[in-house]
Amino acid sequence: MRIEKCYFCSGPVYPGHGTMFVRNDCKTFRFCKSKCLKNFKKKRNPRKTRWTKAFRKASGKELTVDNCLEFEKRRNVAVKYQRELWSKTVEAMRKVEGIKRKRQAQFIFNRLKKGKQLEKEEAISEVKKNIHLIKAPHAKPRLWRRRWCRSYKMWKWVMISKSLLGLC
Amino acid sequence: MALYNFKKIMVVPTSKEFIDITLSKTQRKTPTVVHKHYQIHRIRHFYMRKVKFTQQNYHDRLSQILTDFPKLDDIHPFYADLMNVLYDKDHYKLALGQINIAKNLIDNVSKDYVRLMKYGDSLYRCKQLKRAALGRMCTIMKRQKQSLEYLEQVRQHLSRLPTIDPNTRTLLLCGYPNVGKSSFINKVTRADVEVQPYAFTTKSLFVGHMDYKYLRWQVVDTPGILDHPLEERNTIEMQAITALAHLRSAVLYVMDVSEQCGQTLEQQLELFNNIRPLFANKPLLIVANKCDVKKISELTEEDQACDKLLAHRVDGKMKGKKVHDVLNRLHLAVPAKRDEKARPPFIPEGARIGRKTMEVDAPKRKTERDLEVEMGDDYILDLQKYWDLMNQDEKYDVIPEIWEGHNIADYIDPDIMKNLEDLEKEEELKVKAGEYETDEESEDEEMQEIRQLAKQIREKRKLKIVCSKDKDVHGPRLPRTVKKVERKTLEKEMGDLGLDMTGKDDSHYAVNARRSRSVGVAKKRKREASVVPTSRTRSQSASRPPRDQSGVRDPKMAKQAKKLMKNQQKDMNRQGKKGEADRHVFDLKPKHLFSGKRKSGTNDHR
Repeated sequence: MRIEKCYFCSGPVYPGHGTMFVRNDCKTFRFCKSKCLKNFKKKRNPRKTRWTKAFRKASGKELTVDNCLEFEKRRNVAVKYQRELWSKTVEAMRKVEGIKRKRQAQFIFNRLKKGKQLEKEEAISEVKKNIHLIKAPHAKPRLWRRRWCRSYKMWKWVMISKSLLGLC
Repeated sequence: MALYNFKKIMVVPTSKEFIDITLSKTQRKTPTVVHKHYQIHRIRHFYMRKVKFTQQNYHDRLSQILTDFPKLDDIHPFYADLMNVLYDKDHYKLALGQINIAKNLIDNVSKDYVRLMKYGDSLYRCKQLKRAALGRMCTIMKRQKQSLEYLEQVRQHLSRLPTIDPNTRTLLLCGYPNVGKSSFINKVTRADVEVQPYAFTTKSLFVGHMDYKYLRWQVVDTPGILDHPLEERNTIEMQAITALAHLRSAVLYVMDVSEQCGQTLEQQLELFNNIRPLFANKPLLIVANKCDVKKISELTEEDQACDKLLAHRVDGKMKGKKVHDVLNRLHLAVPAKRDEKARPPFIPEGARIGRKTMEVDAPKRKTERDLEVEMGDDYILDLQKYWDLMNQDEKYDVIPEIWEGHNIADYIDPDIMKNLEDLEKEEELKVKAGEYETDEESEDEEMQEIRQLAKQIREKRKLKIVCSKDKDVHGPRLPRTVKKVERKTLEKEMGDLGLDMTGKDDSHYAVNARRSRSVGVAKKRKREASVVPTSRTRSQSASRPPRDQSGVRDPKMAKQAKKLMKNQQKDMNRQGKKGEADRHVFDLKPKHLFSGKRKSGTNDHR
């Protein structure tokens, strides 16, 4: 019993699920759901279909080369069962999984950092250019501030309460 | 080979039939419609096709006849001679020759007329040419009547000839008529030859088959032979002679010991001596028949005949050239010995032991089946006891296969602990280097304010876009300055932008607003009919009179003018028209004017 990988989306195919297609040259293709199978029949390239793991890895959106990924590998040499080896392996799997997740998350975070920077800059430029939409050029600062602060505080209070309630 | 074909010869039709078949086929299989006004090449092609088609048909059928009938030179001399005896070689060849000539003549006719048809310039002429061509071909066939009849008879007789294979083992029975040859063949084989007390009951060759020593033997029964020279023999006797002459067989010369056939022993011996030259190279046996009437043992002759023939045949074969060919090709190859070491064939140990156990019948190990039988209901198939693991006590462990969506088998590696250690070290280093630190600077107030401002700006902008889209104005638009702006909205908007809009009663926009209100629109007053309307709105200058007063002298005239106006408007009002210029027709095709029968009158009404 083993969990196979879907050829198209690289998702897990559990036993008793999905379909398998065998081609005339004896190559087998497993699919986790009919969506993947239909896309395959339409001759779509998984490396170009944006929602698949293959695309994400090929376009550098996810961690591809790392030591923690070398642990899970299909080996063609059978190893005879030894209790301690198996139990140690299960322990190791847990640890490796934890490290793997951390690293993957970090990779994505690093990738998105630039976006945050750009957002900040955009906000600053927006304010600089279009402040006239909410503040007249010769408005009395204190008056405006009072009016604006009222609305700002309201907004701040709403954000804080949202985060407290865990809705953010 | 040749005898097989005799049954496959196609039926030879009579000449009349032949002509009928071919002509009707031409009629059916070629196009039949042609008109005068077709183009000349089409007409010519039409008729040429017919001529050629007929010629083709004749040609095919005649060729088939010629190929079907065996050529006397190609078949086994036995059959050639037999056919000569039965059908006369010359006549046969002549008939076939005539057919061949007819075929060629027909081809020539067709060629000539096709050539002529190229110069036919009208339908009539082409048609006559075709008629002439077909006519000539048919007369040629009519002249072949005799040949065709003869060939048909030959064919029928040929197909009924017995299938004698000239090359296989044969026993030939010959002798005087009525000596018992047919009875012999009836006894020995499954043949059912007619046996009658009169002579020449058997008029042609008959074949029977029997089995001896796991081989099939042909037994050929011949009509009796009388004792006179060769030239005087009739057809029936000639058949027997032919058989004797050509078939390589054992000859059984049957003699009637009891003289019931009507010839004495001396006469039979005479005949024997006369036809002795025919027996050259053939094992011969003299059969003394009808010995129940007169006793001489006869049974052994049969076996001896077959054995003799077999031996004769084998000798013949060995002496023949064919055997040498085969012998030359056979050669037993043996590898040359390179040293004195003995190299026996290799038999693996397992096979040797297996063979020994099979022979010795040693006690076998206990099988699962034996166990099952022993334990009865308690038996459980437990294959794990045969497993060969490092620690034997782990045999009955439940082996885990999957953990949290991963296959454990993919992680199994004897070096896994080492790899894990390396990984963890690496991880520590990374953490120390600070790769995992989220440098998310907690933003200061200023930045937060800026974000909030940006957000508001975006919202405001979107709102403005939505508002402008909402207006939904198609076509030319009024400029913004024409619209009247409410004081309230103006003050609110400006207030939101941060300007102080209190105490703005003296501002110019407020003043302007008041002023425009006082200049009101003239009120609608109920007009009295007698009073000429004199009040004028201030917006109009006094010099221009209203339309219904211009050119009107006095109230009486005004009244009349008004009446006229109303009268004119009556019609339009009744028809529901907007005014003079309204020529719109609401229903261009009213159904009642366009349906139904028109009895009398117009389409204004039906």
